[in-house]
Amino acid sequence: MLNYIWAGLIIFSLVFAVVSDVRDLTRDTYRNGDPLPVTLTFPESYRPEARRQPVVVRIDPATYRAFYRTESVPDTAYAGELVQFRTGRELRFARDVDVPEPLATIRRVTSSRENDLRGTLQALTFVSDSLATAAVLFAPVRFVRLQAITDAAFEFARTAVTLALGLIGLLALWLGLLRIAEAAGLVQHLARWTRPLLRPLFPDVPRDHPAFALITLNLTANMLGLGNAATPLGIKAMEELQKLNPRPDTATNAMVMLLAMNTASVQLVPPVLLMAIMGAAINELILPIILVTLASLLVAIVAAKLLGRLPAYRRTDPMHAATDHQNQPETDA
Amino acid sequence: METFRTLIETLSLLVLPLLIVGFPLYGLLRRVPVYEAFVEGAREGFDVAVRIIPYLVAILFAIGMFRASGAMDFLIDLLRPVLSPLRIPPEVLPMAILRPLTGSGSAAVVLDLIRQYGEDSLIVKIAAVMFGSTETTFYVLVVYFGAVNITKTRHAVPAGLIADVTAILMAIYLVQWLFA
Repeated sequence: MLNYIWAGLIIFSLVFAVVSDVRDLTRDTYRNGDPLPVTLTFPESYRPEARRQPVVVRIDPATYRAFYRTESVPDTAYAGELVQFRTGRELRFARDVDVPEPLATIRRVTSSRENDLRGTLQALTFVSDSLATAAVLFAPVRFVRLQAITDAAFEFARTAVTLALGLIGLLALWLGLLRIAEAAGLVQHLARWTRPLLRPLFPDVPRDHPAFALITLNLTANMLGLGNAATPLGIKAMEELQKLNPRPDTATNAMVMLLAMNTASVQLVPPVLLMAIMGAAINELILPIILVTLASLLVAIVAAKLLGRLPAYRRTDPMHAATDHQNQPETDA
Repeated sequence: METFRTLIETLSLLVLPLLIVGFPLYGLLRRVPVYEAFVEGAREGFDVAVRIIPYLVAILFAIGMFRASGAMDFLIDLLRPVLSPLRIPPEVLPMAILRPLTGSGSAAVVLDLIRQYGEDSLIVKIAAVMFGSTETTFYVLVVYFGAVNITKTRHAVPAGLIADVTAILMAIYLVQWLFA
């Protein structure tokens, strides 16, 4: 299933990007090659010899809407700069001004480094010393979405590595602490206490196996909203379950159960991020969050159990195959 | 509710220091060479982090492309007609679709909804309950399974998604029932 979802995401992205870019081309969303009429005001009156001078750019809302066939409206005035070359004039909007779509997209694509919208100035006609009408021609914009998905692919590939490397410290801390707990026999103790609770959910795991202790720690950390501890503990629990797995590339029922319980994430304390976003408003939401999270945990457990009984998943069960076909000794003695 | 919350919060504040100090202390009492054991265990941290990189890259770049393609808006338009008979506000749909895929992305959706509708709106409450009650399923999947090099995930994805759909629908109806 992961194969299909993964390939689906990529293929769907490409198809959608192409469709949306072709639609932009046929609708002429960015008016490539057509200049946008503007009014320029010179605060210090126009100086023909100056290479750069400040201007105030005004775009008539009605003209704008008709020109780009859009509902969005520009601000009343934008600060900008008129740059004169021997060959012509360029209008540069001030950096980071709040321009509406599609100008925002044009800026992002054509001038991403400076983040100032630029266009060639045409038909500059002076009404007075400090007032002129003109038209701005922006650089042509094509295949925005295709560029965007390629950029996103590269960016997220980098993000993935940053995320993984960011985990090193936490993983090292918790795996170190857990090694002490193992050596001291603490993990085995905890496993004996929590086995009666967890055993029905993980029938393939032998009695008193350390996995029970790690699963308990992982679920407890999750419940208390301690994401920093939950992930390393969960990984360690997976490693213990992997030791019981006769086919190391395939998930066992126990692993699927642990994962399902983690994705459902029982949380008695809301995630820190959510508390930061919501502030005091979080208080009245705590009860609904707990109710929903409990329900989804229950569903996750039932789903993992029942799906595991489907013929397709039974056939691929590593434990099942090991005991039935290869006649290996059962791990659960 | 308030006392319950204080209790849980105090507990979650206490647990980590207790574990971090408790494990070495208990080890010391049981005459375990604690320093050596810690370093030996901690060494694995690097390997695990490096082991999950290919899995994380695979899933994250696909999700990133999907978000950048604008396919989300298309999906929302597609689903809009079936939403109103089910009493699902279309505004929360981006949240429902993004939540299993990306944590930071769905947090951004909550922020955006707060800016548009305000913290007290029903929409924001629904989105916040969705965020608080589910996990980033695909991230958890690749990190946990990636750490032990599992590539054949069997029924993990369907089970996780069924739980997510339950949580999302329940968040929508429960919040409307409680606050509307």
